[in-house]
Amino acid sequence: MKTGDGGVVTTTLEQAMEWGRSNSLWPLTFGLACCAIEMMAIQAADMDIARFGSEVFRNSPRQSDLMIVAGTVTKKMAPRVRRLYEEMPYPKYVIAMGVCVIQGGPYNQGYSVVLGVDKVVPVDVYVPGCPPTPEALTHGIMLLQKKIRNETDR
Amino acid sequence: MVEVIEETTGKDGRKVMKVAKENLLALLSDLKDNGFTHLSLITGVDRKSKLEVVYHLHNMNKNEYVVVKTETLDERVPSVTSLFKSADWDEREQYDLMGIVFEGHPNLKRLFLPDSWVGHPLRKNYDLSKVQYINMDENGDDYATFDPGDGW
Repeated sequence: MKTGDGGVVTTTLEQAMEWGRSNSLWPLTFGLACCAIEMMAIQAADMDIARFGSEVFRNSPRQSDLMIVAGTVTKKMAPRVRRLYEEMPYPKYVIAMGVCVIQGGPYNQGYSVVLGVDKVVPVDVYVPGCPPTPEALTHGIMLLQKKIRNETDR
Repeated sequence: MVEVIEETTGKDGRKVMKVAKENLLALLSDLKDNGFTHLSLITGVDRKSKLEVVYHLHNMNKNEYVVVKTETLDERVPSVTSLFKSADWDEREQYDLMGIVFEGHPNLKRLFLPDSWVGHPLRKNYDLSKVQYINMDENGDDYATFDPGDGW
């Protein structure tokens, strides 16, 4: 992005699209277990992800861009998670929140839990923790924004 | 008077009674007449050679609990749904996860897992190495498979 002396901004259409997209990530209201409590905290006044453009948790998958999988995904829930993901319009992103969603966590040896939601839907950002703090999830959303804008930390 | 095999008191002061499964219905019926009208919980224990079923009863007026235990060698126990309506789903849960067959139950089918699930997962001899997956058919009903299929 270049700023000229005359107050004119030049950019590519692609960069402008990415900028707009990354600053209006609307998450889906979707909580499966205890991680959902921490997810609720990030949209409340203290953390307030509206500062990063994620103003509102949409109640319909058709109006949301981001699915935060918050909580243990059981095998019975897995087909439903996939259906919700398929109902979301493109472009769509997924954050795996918590260690249960990443690889099963404490239920790793069990019979009923999906060992990683990435077996069911593609995941963009993994946020580890049991549960992750609201700050960690906010960091995860900021990482996803950087990913959408093709920026890297390294 | 119903014959009780062993009567002890637990650490929390609850009376624990062991009874043969033939006398189970008679004992629970007696307790129900003596004020223990609420069946709060049914659990199952896998002792490898035998299965144990535990009934927790609550007396609402005196706030007392009593625990009734019974054992079975052939996975069969009489159903107590004729005495306590709440036993219906409790017994279905025990059938689902422990494989205990409750004789005389009106609708003994799985409560949590799909009907096509193989085995009872809380049994000691359940084979965890054979992973089962759950998929949804067109009607929205679940079915269990060993083959992951499209959705996975």
